[in-house]
Amino acid sequence: MKRYVITLIVCTFLAAIQGKAEAYKVGDIVMVHLQDKTRYVCNPDHVLSSATVAKIDSILYALEQKTGIETLVVAVKEIEGGDCFNFAYELGKQNGVGKKNSNNGLVVLLATQDRCIQFVTGYGLEGILPDAICKRIQIQKMNPYFAKNEWNAGMLSGIQAINSYLDGSMEPEDIENENSGELYILGFVFLFMLGIFALSYYIQRKKTRCPNCKKHTLHRTDSHLISRKNGIKRERVVYTCSNCGYTVVKDEDSDDESGGIGRAGRGGPIIFGGGPFRGGGGGFSGGSFGGGSFGGGGAGSRF
Amino acid sequence: MKNVTRFILMIVCVISLSSCGYNTMVEKDEAVSHAWSNVENQYQRRADLIPNLVNTVKGYAAHEKETLEAVVEARSKATQITVDADNLTPEKLKAYQEAQGEVGSALGRLLAITENYPDLKANENFKELQAQLEGTENRISVERRNFNEASRDYNTYIWKFPNNIFSSLFGFEKRPYFEAEAGTEKAPTVKF
Repeated sequence: MKRYVITLIVCTFLAAIQGKAEAYKVGDIVMVHLQDKTRYVCNPDHVLSSATVAKIDSILYALEQKTGIETLVVAVKEIEGGDCFNFAYELGKQNGVGKKNSNNGLVVLLATQDRCIQFVTGYGLEGILPDAICKRIQIQKMNPYFAKNEWNAGMLSGIQAINSYLDGSMEPEDIENENSGELYILGFVFLFMLGIFALSYYIQRKKTRCPNCKKHTLHRTDSHLISRKNGIKRERVVYTCSNCGYTVVKDEDSDDESGGIGRAGRGGPIIFGGGPFRGGGGGFSGGSFGGGSFGGGGAGSRF
Repeated sequence: MKNVTRFILMIVCVISLSSCGYNTMVEKDEAVSHAWSNVENQYQRRADLIPNLVNTVKGYAAHEKETLEAVVEARSKATQITVDADNLTPEKLKAYQEAQGEVGSALGRLLAITENYPDLKANENFKELQAQLEGTENRISVERRNFNEASRDYNTYIWKFPNNIFSSLFGFEKRPYFEAEAGTEKAPTVKF
């Protein structure tokens, strides 16, 4: 057992080291947005400082609230293949960045060792954020910093430029759309509960049916305990029909609630909170990408 | 004898259970046509950018006549070849791809010579055209890939048993693919 654990730990370490040293594949980038809907920046190599990440996150969160545009920012050292457009496109496509109906996803990829910055716009964003504008933002706002390896300043000024360009360009998708999905679920739950009620009523009613006169007039008239084992109580119950006087005797099992040993009420107190679950930033739930599609819009440049 | 009838019965069951897949074939065929029209759109988009680009370059580098003419000529040749999605044969697709490849390489040469003209490179209009052209090349490659995927999906479907019996019966034919060719496949590289 011990050896197994040690091997596992060593393997994990090796994998971590290898993952660090090698270029990223598209699937390797962990989407932080899925864990916390207020976060948009995937920064596995710590190319950007945490202060910059926080600023960008707040800008992009506000942007999504105002316009519905979903943005994904990825900053890494090296990508596999070195084709920035392809990598950014696959990031957007595989994760479904953007709302389903308006296809308003935007992917911003920075690969510092490949020395490229790439924007990819979803189908619905191509008209609002044309390729030429993407290029202009990169050349004017980002590349001067990137050329001096000032990743934080370049990324922040680029994101600010994107934000001021996109602000007010779109309206968020109808909330009804998303709500109707929830309504469906609510309706389904309601139906399910109704079904359970109907079923329990049916079972209860079946219990009162007299096997002799077929009327629902069977009542419980007498019962006595036969045994009590492992917390299960066995009773002999006598049912009498008030219509024809027919009697039925049944043995019934039920959970013994009265003072079994070693069941409820024992055990140490369970303490919630204060455990290892810290990261959420105080109750933010995970976000999701809407499944938008991409057609190759956007622009990229090298610095 | 009993075995033979059982065998025939089994085959009939298999076929009728899986249905003949006709509707799916129609759907997949339609998806290929749709993907093809997207490919054509993007090539058209590139063709539409060319006159503007050529005019802009002409203003700064009028004496690069040959290169400019080559682009215009390749464009006019390529726009003449249009392929209807319904009779998309491998030969036609190849001709189409070759003509568009010509445009691509002529554009590549044009962009290469613009390196020698700093004034042109500083022109805002030219910069935007370049950005658009680059974006269009990306879109073309995306749509070509989508087309190949749709085509492959359709082809594998109609060649599966028992679909192959019905596809030949109803006249569904195999769809061609874009092939990556040396030289023509390469998008013109734009450097800054």
